Amino acid sequence: MLEPDLLIIGGGITGQCAALVAADAGAMVTIVDMQRNAGSHANAGSLHVQMQSRFLRLNPHLADNLESSLPLYMSAVAEWQALDAALGGVELTQQGGLMLADTPAQLDFLHQKAAREQKKGLDVEILYRDTLHRLAPWLSPHVVGAELCRNEGKLNPLIANRKMREALTARGVRFVQDQITHITDGPRPIAHGAQNYPAGAVLIASSWGGGQLAQPLGLRIQTPPEPLHMNITEAGAYEIQHLVQHAERPITLKQFRSGQVVIGGGWQANLARDDSAAPAIKPDSLLGNVALAARIAPGIGGLRVLRTWAGYNTPVDGKTTVGAVRDGGRVFVGLPGDAGYTLGPVVGRMAANAVLSLPQAVDPEPYSPARWRA
Amino acid sequence: MSQITFTFDGQDITCDQTSSVAAALTQAGHRAFRKTEGDAPRGIFCGMGVCQDCLVTIDGRPNQRACMTPAAGGLQVQTQSARPALTKPQDRTLTPHRLTPRVLVIGGGAGGLNAAIAAAESGAETVLLDERKVSGGQYFKQDADPTRDPLDAQQRAGRDLVTAAYAAGVTLIQSAEVWGAFDGPEIMATSPEAVYAIRPERLIVATGAYERPATIPGWTLPGVMTVGAAQTLWRSYRTLPGRRVALFGNGPLVAQVAAELVSGGAEVVCLAEAAPAPWSRPVAALDMVRRDPALAVKGLGLLSKLARNGVRVSHDTLPEQIEQAGDVLRVTYRQNGTLKTVKADAVCLNFGFQPQNEILRLLGARMSYDAQFDQLRVDRSPDCETSVPQVYAIGDCCGLGGAPAAAVEGRIAGRAAASDEAQPTPADLSLRARHGKFQDALWRVYAADRPLPEDAPPETLICRCEEVSKATLDAALADDPLDIGALKRATRIGMGRCQGRYCAPVVAGIMARRQGRPLEDLSYFAPRIPIKPVEIAAITAAETLLDAEQTPDA
Ligand SMILES: Cc1cc2nc3c(=O)[nH]c(=O)nc-3n(C[C@H](O)[C@H](O)[C@H](O)COP(=O)(O)OP(=O)(O)OC[C@H]3O[C@@H](n4cnc5c(N)ncnc54)[C@H](O)[C@@H]3O)c2cc1C
Ligand SMILES: Cc1cc2nc3c(=O)[nH]c(=O)nc-3n(C[C@H](O)[C@H](O)[C@H](O)COP(=O)(O)OP(=O)(O)OC[C@H]3O[C@@H](n4cnc5c(N)ncnc54)[C@H](O)[C@@H]3O)c2cc1C
Ligand code: FES
Repeated sequence: MLEPDLLIIGGGITGQCAALVAADAGAMVTIVDMQRNAGSHANAGSLHVQMQSRFLRLNPHLADNLESSLPLYMSAVAEWQALDAALGGVELTQQGGLMLADTPAQLDFLHQKAAREQKKGLDVEILYRDTLHRLAPWLSPHVVGAELCRNEGKLNPLIANRKMREALTARGVRFVQDQITHITDGPRPIAHGAQNYPAGAVLIASSWGGGQLAQPLGLRIQTPPEPLHMNITEAGAYEIQHLVQHAERPITLKQFRSGQVVIGGGWQANLARDDSAAPAIKPDSLLGNVALAARIAPGIGGLRVLRTWAGYNTPVDGKTTVGAVRDGGRVFVGLPGDAGYTLGPVVGRMAANAVLSLPQAVDPEPYSPARWRA
Repeated sequence: MSQITFTFDGQDITCDQTSSVAAALTQAGHRAFRKTEGDAPRGIFCGMGVCQDCLVTIDGRPNQRACMTPAAGGLQVQTQSARPALTKPQDRTLTPHRLTPRVLVIGGGAGGLNAAIAAAESGAETVLLDERKVSGGQYFKQDADPTRDPLDAQQRAGRDLVTAAYAAGVTLIQSAEVWGAFDGPEIMATSPEAVYAIRPERLIVATGAYERPATIPGWTLPGVMTVGAAQTLWRSYRTLPGRRVALFGNGPLVAQVAAELVSGGAEVVCLAEAAPAPWSRPVAALDMVRRDPALAVKGLGLLSKLARNGVRVSHDTLPEQIEQAGDVLRVTYRQNGTLKTVKADAVCLNFGFQPQNEILRLLGARMSYDAQFDQLRVDRSPDCETSVPQVYAIGDCCGLGGAPAAAVEGRIAGRAAASDEAQPTPADLSLRARHGKFQDALWRVYAADRPLPEDAPPETLICRCEEVSKATLDAALADDPLDIGALKRATRIGMGRCQGRYCAPVVAGIMARRQGRPLEDLSYFAPRIPIKPVEIAAITAAETLLDAEQTPDA
């Protein structure tokens, strides 16, 4: 096998996007993936931008951190728009996201949040009852208002993943199935699995499998998997055009073009029973998540839940980590952190740019792995 | 028998008051109940709540299975559109129940009923859940109308078994479908009036089998159904699937149902068996007769009855294609190498059985692939315990074994679940072994070569729910998907309402042969909750139950 310029560990959305950018820049790229529990295969395709209110309420002291990441989320959406065009359509829609309020107090909170977000350049607006219910007649009458964030949207990850794979194959990117156990650092680093993979550079884009590879190289980073629960219904008329969240309750709700309603929002699942199994569903997550969705959007109450599944999310510290493990080194990391499917493409691009010393559109400094160095 | 009237797309339908919606519509000559996303009509296929092709809207509630829903006077039934509007359905009161019996049995067939009786008689508090309105399962298949005389000894024996279960003190909950199985085990079920969350000390899974059809062009047309679906229409609802019926299949059930339909007044225009004639395999046939002479005599009686009615089994015969030809269906089939056609109102297919092992797979019970029957079978100890402690499996959900074997296994597992000291009796063990040998001999007589799905024409629908053709499958296979999960994500095969029950065996085999790998549990789609689509109203009702309990984290 010819030694690639870039070896990417992890073939999720982050690794794939890094591969696409690097291949387009003329690099020879190989992706090694062990094909286990990719978040990119389990995720729901929400494009998040506005600040997650639950996070703000729980961690008011981290509000500034979150606020400072907002520009990254906007670049992430722009990156997805470009991908949508490049891949020939991934059902990306940008009708915006609604964050719902049931009480005047919740609406007040959304007002303040919207003001901060507006300052950062987000396209947000508070909608009152009548306007909101005209826009979303399937909503419960209990909802008194919402924040509409027009930057938000959704896409179909099944289609995106399939077309991405086709695009990479067309660009000569090689795919290898293997589990990398450790990396030898150096001017020509080597990733070790069942085979050895020497390369011009190595990118760790393996989410929950990333910490284990980065720690021996001097990063004190932990990447435990967070098993999350999802539900999907059978198809109904396509009426829910927005990405729907709530000011206080954990929920994301949206409809694919297929008419199926996808319900999630961070409800927990159990870790996989063993290596070959998928993470297992918890009954209280299934019942709680779906019942909450039906209270918010009673219009979905006539549909049946068709399937549930769980996957591994890797929030790390909630913030993106991207760049060289050590200054001037040839081993890099690309971990999107929270809302990783939204951020995957932009983080992949930043990682590829770092590897190839190309100019960065987004300042990578705040996301540098430096914060994990011993 | 009193009659009731409901409407279908505004037109009056009159039927017996114990009829199902599906049987009433069939009786009235309707074949198409719903429209797919691709605008294709669909109707009854499995007749047992598995295929989800018989969906109708009832009183504004979309996606109700006509085959599992009792008819009632005044119902407004409508053809189901592919994408119903998002309007809130009328509120329903579903009473939540939390149960914690010593023994929970899922399935009220020969296996489940015997297990529940044995457990209750051993002193254990025993609950049995069955999705059918009247228990008995596939072999005893009960009449929906309890006042009608049983059709035959088989139906009468079933009725007696249900009576015995009540007498033994079993809590029999009917019309309750299990849709969730979680580690614990914790079982979730729904009936038209209630939801159940059940945490038993011992679980006995006795969910039986469903049928394997033929994946050929036209197998999704309304009027094409499984042999068992036709049998249920007749035995439970005294409704014929059509006046002129063609049956294609493999195994003794096909001729038996043909005879039942003939006695109901149907004209059997074709009775086709994939296997060669038994007399061409005299050694296997004699072995079968020797192992159960009574059953063999019964089989011969059946054939001579059919012959008296002018119906002869056509051996070495396989269907190749079904088309709509005006009001009727035209089947093209190959008999001993010669192409022929036949026209019928209903076409029935059965090419063997698939165990309903979804609950067992969800709970993580170890499975082994059985090459002879091309299916996963659960590993069990001599007392029918699976690799998951305190979870037992009996009857056809472990691989087709027939009703007598299911009954013995039920007794063994029922006693073991009720008491840790119970050991299977030598008599039961030897009886079980005898039934096993009979089944072996039986299926040697019926062994038949079947064309590989790889050779199906490109227009054949591999996944009937998502309407994915063989051509689309082939295109995705050209990309060398790593496993069946990748293939599913690339094509949507297996993502539909039946949860991959019909396509999984087909694509698992194709993938394994391509990759030159033996089949195993991981060759099939990962098991998913819900086992069958579940109404959001049921989930909302069940949530109050868990909420009230504040379930500690497992
Ligand atoms: C249920 C669920 C819903 C979600 N919904 C959303 C959403 O709506 N919007 C959103 O923005 N985000 C969402 N997320 C988060 C998002 O899916 C992930 O953050 C994102 O997909 C991560 O992409 P990735 O490419 O970085 O890693 P992954 O997609 O997780 O891929 C990592 C890959 O690395 C491989 N790997 C790991 N270790 C090794 C090793 N040692 N050797 C070789 N290969 C290895 C794995 O096999 C895997 O394929 C969701 C997550 C979950 C679980
Ligand atoms: C369609 C069909 C027709 C058959 N006809 C004949 C015949 O005419 N003669 C013959 O000798 N043999 C016949 N057999 C085989 C024979 O019926 C079986 O060998 C025997 O019935 C096995 O008994 P069992 O208890 O294992 O399963 P079954 O009798 O199939 O009983 C299983 C029970 O479990 C219930 N169930 C399944 N899933 C769930 C769930 N999720 N929630 C709640 N309840 C559930 C079902 O409704 C059913 O009542 C037939 C099999 C099938 C599949
Ligand atoms: S015919 Fe009703 S579900 Fe199959």
